[in-house]
Amino acid sequence: MGLDNPFVPYIATLKASTQLTPDIKLLSVELEDPDSRANFDYKPGQFALLSAFGEGEAPFGIVSLPQQENGLEFAVRRIGTVTRALQELEPGNTLGVRGPFGNYFPLEDYEGKNIIIIGGGIGMAPLRPVINKILERRNNYEDLLIINGARTPQDLVFQPEFPTWIKAPRVKLELTVDRGDEHWKGRVALVPDVVKELAPSADNAIAIICGPPIMIRFTLARLRDLGFKDNQIVTTLEAKMKCGLGKCARCNIGEKYVCQDGPVFTLEQIAQFLEQP
Amino acid sequence: MNLYASKDDLIRWLDSLLKEHIVIAPVEIQGQTMFQPISKAESCQLSAISNTVLSPKGWFLPPTETLFSVKRDDGHVELVPTQVEQDAVLFGLHPCDARGIALMDKPFLQEPSDALYRERRSRTALIGLACRQAQPECFCTSMGSAPDDSSNVDIMLTEVEDGYIVQAITDKGKTLLPKGLKEYKGKVPAPPKLQTIPTKEVVSAIKGLFNDPYWEKLADRCLHCNICAYVCPTCYCFDIRDYADKEKIERVRSWESCQSRGFSLTAGGYDPRATKGERLRQRFCHKLLYFPEEFEDVACVGCGRCVRDCPVNIDIREVINSLKQVTEAKSGS
Repeated sequence: MGLDNPFVPYIATLKASTQLTPDIKLLSVELEDPDSRANFDYKPGQFALLSAFGEGEAPFGIVSLPQQENGLEFAVRRIGTVTRALQELEPGNTLGVRGPFGNYFPLEDYEGKNIIIIGGGIGMAPLRPVINKILERRNNYEDLLIINGARTPQDLVFQPEFPTWIKAPRVKLELTVDRGDEHWKGRVALVPDVVKELAPSADNAIAIICGPPIMIRFTLARLRDLGFKDNQIVTTLEAKMKCGLGKCARCNIGEKYVCQDGPVFTLEQIAQFLEQP
Repeated sequence: MNLYASKDDLIRWLDSLLKEHIVIAPVEIQGQTMFQPISKAESCQLSAISNTVLSPKGWFLPPTETLFSVKRDDGHVELVPTQVEQDAVLFGLHPCDARGIALMDKPFLQEPSDALYRERRSRTALIGLACRQAQPECFCTSMGSAPDDSSNVDIMLTEVEDGYIVQAITDKGKTLLPKGLKEYKGKVPAPPKLQTIPTKEVVSAIKGLFNDPYWEKLADRCLHCNICAYVCPTCYCFDIRDYADKEKIERVRSWESCQSRGFSLTAGGYDPRATKGERLRQRFCHKLLYFPEEFEDVACVGCGRCVRDCPVNIDIREVINSLKQVTEAKSGS
């Protein structure tokens, strides 16, 4: 991405591609130019646009943390033409990266609070760096409750990391699926119902949510029932996006541009623009 | 100082400009006036009273353009961005269209600025033409401009008997002035009078109407044909896609409209603006609320093209008036 032309991506190499679930792969990506690589700094919640040249470009949350040894990581779910092309890339292949774009979770502001993380399906992707950042600075936060839902047990995205997460002090991981299988002994319930069942206290708490729109919508309602104020509820939004620069006018949610003003919003900022349950 | 150019002076001037510039001017093609690059001065058609079919925004944001091409060489990939090579003159644009360009500057020159737009803009001089007559659909004075508004051009022309008053507005304009023109000492003709609509009040009114049933009702007859966006001097939504064949891969940008079905549909199937009402609300809210909140000005110049061309008579002037009425009715009840 030259300074001069913000539409031209950085050239990058795919270092590794790991199957996380039947339709989600973790892509580890390295920018070709060493200076660009060194300067590519980002925070949990920010996103980038990945290019599969010849197929197109699409936005993805960055799921790694800077200075992590695996480099830049993205969780890509196979859902359309660009994501299919990205999943078909092999280590050593070239792709494009533009970013980092957007705002981020103001995690410093949440220090000293109880954190409730609620993710559904691929919605766990942008929440993974949030969890890892909190674990990195574990003593700066109170209790961490993670509620992670998926369609089936094999669709839970970051399973290999669950043991690391729950090994940390004062962390609870609550899993739920829409449909179990013969091995599944856990919950079979929808995320909003699990929120209702666990009833986390709104006292000194921040709830961070990401998932399908329908899950977000009903979860917001349950959190409000529990006494969460709109400024205690934070979400990151997915939107159709082309430029990432606040110009193509596609990702408007009301007056906000998801790519520039977001993707991270408090419910206070966007409640008016979401469908009312 | 006001100068005077006869019609012959103007032709000679255009011919001299053509030596070192691309000149884009109104041209009559099969009865329609369009902005096009001209090769000879005589092609320029300044006498048309109504606005061109499309606004001249396409010179800066082309309907379709390649952003970069992808070169593959032995496994190595290189991206070659499109370059802007030549200076240009956009000749004979009306004040509303000049204001349209000034408004497009706001998002496109805002950092990080849009490279191709920025290059074309800095290498293009604007030579405006005052409107001596207004069309029934014109309402520029309600949108921050006027038929004789010279604030967004480098040189302003005003037609008078047998010729034109020529005023250099900017330094760039001064350098392009033809030599040997005499001073114009006559009267500058008065601009035509235009209808007024309550634009200012609406910007605040529209805020409370995001979830109002008004939008679905208004959109009921919309055919989402997108003509409003294509003819509009300030609509700038665009699409970006890759085109690939055996020989080459290009990333291409083209005009899009927020009225298109699927404009905001994500690959996962979620569409925050799935209905016509939600999309039409986006059009008017972007113009009358979001753009002014970000850049202070309403994103409409009152050129009247959407009014003229909408096949089902969705009229932004009526929308503005209705929004005012809906708000008044709400606050009254």
